[in-house]
Amino acid sequence: MMILTLAKRELSSLFFSPIAYVVLGAFAIGASTFFMQGFEPGQPASMRSTFDAVVWLLVFLAPAISMRLISEELRSGTFERLMTSPVSDAQVVLGKWLGALVFFCVMLLPLVVHAITLEMVGSPEFGPIVTGLLGLVLVGALYLAIGVFASAWSQNQIIAFLVTVFIIALPTFAAYYVSGQTTPDPAMRRLIDYISVNQQYADFAKGLIDIRNFVYFATGTALFLFLSVVLVQSRRWR
Amino acid sequence: MIVAQHLTKWYGPVLAVDDLCFEIPAGEVVGFLGPNGAGKSTSIRMITGYLPPTAGRCTIDRLDVMTDSRAARQKIGYLPESTPLYTEMRVTEYLHFCGKLFGMSRGDRNKRIDVVTAKCGLSHIKRRVIGQLSKGNKQRVGIAQALLHDPPVLILDEPTSGLDPQQTLAFRDLITELRGQHTIMLSSHILPEIERAADRVIIIANGKIVAQGTPVQLRDRASRGGTILVEAKATPKQLTDLLQSLPSVAKVEPYKLGDWTRATVTAKDDADLRSVVSEALTKAGHTIRELHLSAPTLERYFVEAVASKMTNVQA
Repeated sequence: MMILTLAKRELSSLFFSPIAYVVLGAFAIGASTFFMQGFEPGQPASMRSTFDAVVWLLVFLAPAISMRLISEELRSGTFERLMTSPVSDAQVVLGKWLGALVFFCVMLLPLVVHAITLEMVGSPEFGPIVTGLLGLVLVGALYLAIGVFASAWSQNQIIAFLVTVFIIALPTFAAYYVSGQTTPDPAMRRLIDYISVNQQYADFAKGLIDIRNFVYFATGTALFLFLSVVLVQSRRWR
Repeated sequence: MIVAQHLTKWYGPVLAVDDLCFEIPAGEVVGFLGPNGAGKSTSIRMITGYLPPTAGRCTIDRLDVMTDSRAARQKIGYLPESTPLYTEMRVTEYLHFCGKLFGMSRGDRNKRIDVVTAKCGLSHIKRRVIGQLSKGNKQRVGIAQALLHDPPVLILDEPTSGLDPQQTLAFRDLITELRGQHTIMLSSHILPEIERAADRVIIIANGKIVAQGTPVQLRDRASRGGTILVEAKATPKQLTDLLQSLPSVAKVEPYKLGDWTRATVTAKDDADLRSVVSEALTKAGHTIRELHLSAPTLERYFVEAVASKMTNVQA
């Protein structure tokens, strides 16, 4: 209940920040551009290529949503009032993450419009579209958890944004590093593939729901939410 | 109600609060006074449970603010320094949010919001967006928020900063009205407002308590300095020479006023100089037209208490 109260406030304050509209606009334009590229006669009536491209946009847009979550309150001092209310650190972290996640889902709405457009002109399979959207929500949940964690680090939103992008991009850098090697260590290769969000998401875009992908996103999200709570708590023993 | 035991806070190598001990019984209004950077806000943050003390502990109604944190926080209405508010929210919307954080039901919230907005003079701007309010009105929203859940303990950090004189007066009336219903701790670096509002004053400097007592007690202590003001028909030189020759006089600071000289005379050992000075001047044939004990103010006591603390530290 307390989490919902906090999430609701977070969501409404997101809609009051100009950055939110930049994010909504950027996503709508980006996603629509990707969609239109494959929207031609003769092309398969699917959104797989759109999904595969859109997931890259999230690397920058999710951190833009999450960067203010705790940083802004640390900067303005409202965090002090919040943390001296009878709410737990975990409730604050979860409330903020949940509020941001709802905003994230609103951001994804243009994709639903695209799906309806496809339905009007062709006969797409809805299974892969639904799993693709579900996968995007899971990617968002993970990225926003990383974002909450980063925004608890600093009262500077820019730093929170950059730290989030850095953490998200780390597996991608690692993947490039491995692919550059002539004889990559197969164990290393598998590890990199496993931690790569895009690899994990690929199955969802194809229309597959694999329990392993689920476990990956759930544990990743839980891990970063847990780390955020620890970081918020650390103020008590630093 | 509020008990601080050996509260100490180190920020890295900097000692911000040094072994702070005090007790505030239920219903008392205590002013927490000190120059900027004395450790007021740090102390308050430890009392409200926002910052952990490096050593020592603090209890609110026998609940430890660190180990029983949420139960203790439930009992505190807190206005942090510089009144942080969610500027995009409307006044009532913000108060509803605060009420929810304290677990108040909708009915309770509606009732209490009416009460506190009326008390704080916000009734006519309830529906305004906080970001568009003046500094004084924002401050009132902060105070309303602290009062909302009718907490037994009110802790207000610099509640009158940003208020104009009329609003400051209204605030003092509000404190008078709340007296007895809450245990109140308010901090300030401005003396008169605390002098009038508080039952007891705690003065801190460099993280240590340098004095505490009722405003009257502190003023008495200040008056023991034994300073008088005298105005007599003499040149500054005559007056200085004459008075300096008296054994109980420590210092004479004269300045000329036409034919007259006005002087501040300080005694050795807190003695009352009035009779000695008047006798000496009469004997020398200087007419006296004014002679009185220099009015002690808490302000002077504050300045002296703080200054002595500062020199101790530098030495």
